[in-house]
Amino acid sequence: MAANKFLRCGKCLMITAVVAMLGGLAFLYSGLYPMGADVPHNGLTYWGLETMRERSISRAASTIEVPNDLASSERLLKGAADYNAMCASCHLQPGKNQSDFTLGLYPAPPNLAQKGDDHGHDGGHDGGHDDNTYALQRQFWIIKHGIKASGMPSWAPGHDDERIWNMVSFLQRLPELSTGQYQVLTARSDNTKKQEH
Amino acid sequence: MRSKFITLSIAISTLAFTLSAQAHDPKEHMNNAEKPDCAAMENMDHSKMDMNDPVMQAMMKQCMGDMEGMEGMEGMEGMEGMEGMSGSEAPQGDKPAQHGNESSTEQTGHNH
Repeated sequence: MAANKFLRCGKCLMITAVVAMLGGLAFLYSGLYPMGADVPHNGLTYWGLETMRERSISRAASTIEVPNDLASSERLLKGAADYNAMCASCHLQPGKNQSDFTLGLYPAPPNLAQKGDDHGHDGGHDGGHDDNTYALQRQFWIIKHGIKASGMPSWAPGHDDERIWNMVSFLQRLPELSTGQYQVLTARSDNTKKQEH
Repeated sequence: MRSKFITLSIAISTLAFTLSAQAHDPKEHMNNAEKPDCAAMENMDHSKMDMNDPVMQAMMKQCMGDMEGMEGMEGMEGMEGMEGMSGSEAPQGDKPAQHGNESSTEQTGHNH
């Protein structure tokens, strides 16, 4: 009697799973989901993608070793020039609140000239990590590997780890820079050129 | 003849691949980069400058030439010996040090 009930229940579950799978496939092939960047995801999809992204980065980045000289002026200078050339068009700079990229990309790239609490992309605080160290590991990982289907490329091809850490170094000070300081740091002086030769 | 052709083909394709995989050189950015506007530093209150701040040190390095002889900068703590300083000789910032060693190593080996 109990075995019959169990079998019947198992059958029901199997049928439900098959129907759900077929329904999902039908939806996938129907082309009904709006893929344009000008139509936001629905709440459930956004939550799912965001959760998957953050969990994946957290798992992959947690064992990265952070260099102990990240605060050096040398790293800051090198990272500043690269940030300006490679990142500022999407992630902005002091005195700039939007660009064509920030208006058109979805999800919108975070304004890194603001503090993490303001742009809301600091990876959150899950209590499992030392927050500051995790923020550095996370930034390094994202710059190095990029994020699928978000517009964030992987900078690993053509950029070694040291160079990526230089950018992370600059990001730590970026939110507190004035427009004048940003201009001086990101420009290429004769002194900078001499150092790089 | 045929082996020469194969060797030449392999050599050319290897060269093409190597060139395409070359690191994106920081010097590429220099061509379009603007010069630092060091005049802004002249308007700063020099007595309030923290010479141990890496941002200030980095700005000084950028403006080294322009700042020579700037009023109020002579004899300031941290300015001595700044000229000709290479990056590795720069004083370290006052930010708390991070743990780990200097060589940045990613141990996970994940590639996404």
